[in-house]
Amino acid sequence: MTFRLRTVETTAQGRAIVRDRDFAGSRVTIGRAADNNLHLPDLALDPRHAAISARDDGRIVVEALGSLGFTLDGRQQTHAVIAPQTGGELQFGSYRITVSSEADGAVLLTVGQVAGSEAASDEKAVFALAGRLPGKRLLSWLLGLAVLIAFLAVPVYNNLTRDPAAKQGIKGDAAWSSGPLSLAHHQLEGQCVACHVKPFEPVQDKTCLTCHKDVHDHAAPQRIAGARAPGSAGDQLQWRIAHSFGKPGPGACSDCHTEHEGAGRMPPPAQAFCADCHGSLKDRLPDTTLGNASDFGNAHPQFRPALPLAMGSEKLTRVSLGERPREASGLKFPHDLHLDPRSGVSRMAQRLGQGSSLDCKSCHRPTADGVRFLPIDMERDCESCHSLAYDKVGGTFRKLRHGDVDQMIADLAVAPRTPSPIAVPILSGRRRPGEYSSSGPYFARFAPPAGGIGSAQQALSRGGICGECHTPSAVGGRFAVVPVTQVSRYMNHGWFTHAAHKEEKCSSCHAAKTSASSADLLLPDLRSCRTCHLGENAPRGKISSGCAMCHDYHITASAPRGLTPRRKE
Amino acid sequence: MARVQRQTGRQLDSDHEGFLRHRRFRWLKTALVLCGIAVLAYALTDPQPRPNGGTWLGYTLGTLGAGLIVWLALLGVRKRTMTRGAWSLKAWTSAHVYLGLALIVVVTLHTGFQLGWNVHSLAYVLMLLVIASGIFGIVVYAVLPAALSSNREEMTQPQMLEALRAVDRQLEDAAQPLERRWTEAVLAALAESAAAGGLWQRLASANRDGATRQAIEAFNRAGPDEAADPALIRVEALLQRRAAQLGRMRRHVRLKALLEIWLYVHVPATFALIAALTAHVISVFYYW
Repeated sequence: MTFRLRTVETTAQGRAIVRDRDFAGSRVTIGRAADNNLHLPDLALDPRHAAISARDDGRIVVEALGSLGFTLDGRQQTHAVIAPQTGGELQFGSYRITVSSEADGAVLLTVGQVAGSEAASDEKAVFALAGRLPGKRLLSWLLGLAVLIAFLAVPVYNNLTRDPAAKQGIKGDAAWSSGPLSLAHHQLEGQCVACHVKPFEPVQDKTCLTCHKDVHDHAAPQRIAGARAPGSAGDQLQWRIAHSFGKPGPGACSDCHTEHEGAGRMPPPAQAFCADCHGSLKDRLPDTTLGNASDFGNAHPQFRPALPLAMGSEKLTRVSLGERPREASGLKFPHDLHLDPRSGVSRMAQRLGQGSSLDCKSCHRPTADGVRFLPIDMERDCESCHSLAYDKVGGTFRKLRHGDVDQMIADLAVAPRTPSPIAVPILSGRRRPGEYSSSGPYFARFAPPAGGIGSAQQALSRGGICGECHTPSAVGGRFAVVPVTQVSRYMNHGWFTHAAHKEEKCSSCHAAKTSASSADLLLPDLRSCRTCHLGENAPRGKISSGCAMCHDYHITASAPRGLTPRRKE
Repeated sequence: MARVQRQTGRQLDSDHEGFLRHRRFRWLKTALVLCGIAVLAYALTDPQPRPNGGTWLGYTLGTLGAGLIVWLALLGVRKRTMTRGAWSLKAWTSAHVYLGLALIVVVTLHTGFQLGWNVHSLAYVLMLLVIASGIFGIVVYAVLPAALSSNREEMTQPQMLEALRAVDRQLEDAAQPLERRWTEAVLAALAESAAAGGLWQRLASANRDGATRQAIEAFNRAGPDEAADPALIRVEALLQRRAAQLGRMRRHVRLKALLEIWLYVHVPATFALIAALTAHVISVFYYW
């Protein structure tokens, strides 16, 4: 095999001088020493650096003789086999030897020197991302500044330069809102400064009061201040920190009413806010009439309804149900008799077409809002059975005047001495057939109004027609009945609505069927309510009932706000 | 006994221990304890009316989170000075990783799970983006170097470039005797660079079709007499070598891009996060 060494040198004028030198032999040595076949004067090379030898299969073998290697096609090697037909590029220090084959079968080794270092300059451009993307530093500054301008500088600038008189939103501060406002404040959405008046100042009570003018305090401020439990050391530390930042409270509007908690109705304040004071109120306000209460399920005093305790008195007194108070309404009314399906009352109801027997709604009619019941009205609720008719003139009945004792006495004084036919069955004891019979619609049972002043006396006696329901009395020597006191709302400090309980039967809570006296107070007690209602953390199956379900902090005559959303849902 | 221990200690010191398992996961344990305390505090306190950033626990977790974020970001400053020992850069990096992951728990509890379209949630989302890109970075640092190394086959980057240049020089030389239609394909192949393209091309598959491959296909279609031409055979072999070298370089570029890309998210998102965090803190108290 022939090796043809071709050296290419460039003259100062840039002309290439090509010299070929055939080398007949199977081994070419390369090195810095002059006695090498190929002498490459480069200090980076060994004196005897490498040898290229021919192999029988036509390929050539390149071998490093020292510890330093060479590169073949850019890769560091110490031993390489090259097919001259395909060729390859060897590099020894600054010299490059290109291997190829000539037409006559000789292996051509073209030697040239690398002009300067062209390597590595574009390494970064090829392999690194730098330059392909905007720089990290630039991106960081741009993004950071964009966020700061959009979300801080713009809203702050607009806030500081706003016209205080103009009632318009501040551009750019919508992104500051931590959540939508509740339904009640929905129209203030976007008008942050309506509540957040001064920068870095928590929302003040006086700001709330600019709209909520009619909201009154729960109690006198000094009372409230004295009522609040001092709280744990942690609480006190919290308040000390909060106050040092100018936060109002405890007891500020925003303590209980938190906003930006989501659209829809503002949830009622949690019972913990009430329990702060009421949980141990007696300890701090010994003169309070209120019992301690912190949870309806396990820490709530017995109900104390207000009811008349003395006959004829309109004064309502609060008594605990635990003391089993008797109500002095002035009326006689045995509920059991009227509700017993086998009593004479029921028979009469059947005859008068009132159904098989009387039930609660025969007499108790709900108010229009369904919360309570209308007072019992004698003419509407009683008189269809307890008739006051005593005479009939033509087709018209004369009736005793209900509610006016003097008028009744006067009427009876001039009543005919001869009893009216309608009174005959009662007076004579004889029965009449037809529509006046005891099963007829015109039958009326009343005590014998014999006529004259004596009859009025009779009527107002214990066994008389008035005495059937009323308690007779005498006022200044005159006949009278004890005034009736009907209580329409027993619980004035709590809220109860019958409308919310209409799925229940009346008898679930009111033991009317077994009550033989109108003095029985048929109100359910705490235990009865607790069969369904427990405190805020009631277990599954019970109704979670926070304070706000029945009580209002800002007491009004209507339902507490805690109930309103429930009813709407 | 003491001597044995000392020896063991010395051996441990000399062993390589990555930042993830630094000091037997000291910072992983610290981060877990921190998360545990935060979760426990969140579960055991019952703030009224509901948990959010404005309760005492919310302020505490928020302050902790903000402090951590600032400290974590300072790794960018810290990494420019290397030291040894307990406060070595490795310890710092280990803490950076695990405390950064702990932020997910601390800050999520700080939000009280209240999120919306506002600057507060922007800061939260940016923080998650920073953490996610950091997780990506750790994963590629753990997985890709092996692939990078096996692809490289002990070539350095300059060597790879030089290898391509060597093939190109030989191609240029070997193609001299060829006819024009062949030299055009060779010229087109020579114009194809390893680093062609921007970010997406770098991240895309390395085995894409290019001028070099097309040239090889053209040479494969050569007629029978042409195919016997030794010059043609040589050029085709060189083109094959060029294609292989290009493929290797492109795989290298792709792996390098994957190793670098996360920092292009991690660092700018960190600065955006610090800006959003500043806006969050100031705005909350501005409209208190």
